[in-house]
Amino acid sequence: MLQFENVDKYYGAHHVLKGIDAKIERGEVLVVCGPSGSGKSTLIRTVTRLEAIQGGRILFEGRDVAAADSNVNRLRARIGFVFQSFNLFQNLSVRQNLMLGPIKVLGLSRDAALAQAETLLAKVGLANKIDAMPANLSGGQQQRVAIARALAMKPPLMLFDEPTSALDPEMVQEVLQVMRALADEGMTMMIVTHEMGFAREVASRVWFMDHGQLLEDAPPARFFDHPAHARAQRFLQDVLRPAPRAAMLTD
Amino acid sequence: MFDILHDHLALFLVGAWPHGPLGGVANTLVLAALGLVASFPLAIAVGMAQVSPWRWLRTGADAWTRLVRGIPLLLIIFWAYFAVPLLVGAEVSAFTTAVCAIIVYESAFLAQIVRAGLESLPRGQMESARSIGLSWLQSMRHVQLPQALANMLPSIVNQSVSIIKATSLAYVIGVPELTYSAAQVNTITLTKPLQTFLLLAAFYFVLCFTLSRFAGWMERRIARRRLGLA
Repeated sequence: MLQFENVDKYYGAHHVLKGIDAKIERGEVLVVCGPSGSGKSTLIRTVTRLEAIQGGRILFEGRDVAAADSNVNRLRARIGFVFQSFNLFQNLSVRQNLMLGPIKVLGLSRDAALAQAETLLAKVGLANKIDAMPANLSGGQQQRVAIARALAMKPPLMLFDEPTSALDPEMVQEVLQVMRALADEGMTMMIVTHEMGFAREVASRVWFMDHGQLLEDAPPARFFDHPAHARAQRFLQDVLRPAPRAAMLTD
Repeated sequence: MFDILHDHLALFLVGAWPHGPLGGVANTLVLAALGLVASFPLAIAVGMAQVSPWRWLRTGADAWTRLVRGIPLLLIIFWAYFAVPLLVGAEVSAFTTAVCAIIVYESAFLAQIVRAGLESLPRGQMESARSIGLSWLQSMRHVQLPQALANMLPSIVNQSVSIIKATSLAYVIGVPELTYSAAQVNTITLTKPLQTFLLLAAFYFVLCFTLSRFAGWMERRIARRRLGLA
């Protein structure tokens, strides 16, 4: 469904993606992890051409996303993207956030778009917030609306760029719950996240990136229990170690 | 001074109207309103072009605003006075000429406001709009512009203060507006130019001060809405 072929990206002289070569099959839930600055967010943003690449190819459903005859708007309509900072349209109500794309891009009627918005909001547990403005919602609620907004385009592939990193801790689970439900329905997903518990439980495969390289590509059990690469081992030690610092501070 | 005001109030407020063309404060306001309303769509187009992803459009829009901002309004009025009749091949009234010149001049300044308003929005708004497949123009129309315009309102009202003052230059091509009225009053009273033109200044000041107070009130209201309710 999605294939990276020897993808290279530079910011000036800085080589941020180094020959990424990997593949995601239909129905997979792929988690990309790695230390900050490893290039994982950049990688996911190259899929819908939010970032340009300088070398290699990215194929979505067998077609080069940057091909001359590829329409970037049509591509993006087929790939859901969930941002770290939600990015709900601040001038529109929740209902309008969910209806804008289906009406303007897919050509749905208002009634059909509204019916779909109601169904999707119920699915993410926010049916009662349909008339709310984004600014009046909590972070977790905004992110669930953002997921519903992406789903409203009926995309065969969903991308999540650190969807819980901007949330207060108590709101992380409500968002992960929605994502878990999506995975259970068989949605193909590529998720950049630091939620290792979620990755172990939901992912069908884990990619580990560091310094722009894809170092590991393994099922979660193997990745978490026997990481092959030294840098993956160190990363896992760092993120999975119970925080000793909090205890020290109270002493 | 008050006797001048008393004797010539109608001339100051509406000019020769209803026996002649509308003038005075009324016509100044009409000029300014027409200038603002007509230059606004142009300013939106130019401001959008300045933040657009197409280089030639950005370059063109930048060149336009730089050019217009670098020329005194008086010269634009003169230029329009001589050029517009040539271009349209017919007689053009002084009023129309003045409105055209003000539109050209103000569109460049308003475009700066539009551009600033668009640039001040979080980047994620455009990214997420594009990410559901909306084109750049659709994203602008449904997501960026409505937000930018709401934030821009105080600056636009402030700009209308400058438009009101700019209309005084229409006097030089004989448009009967506030300054023109004052000049007429000055001719009638003959010996009181200081008082007459002080009165003129007072008229402009009242108009402009009221507008800037209104802009300030709007600014506070928007700030409050952003902090609390919204």
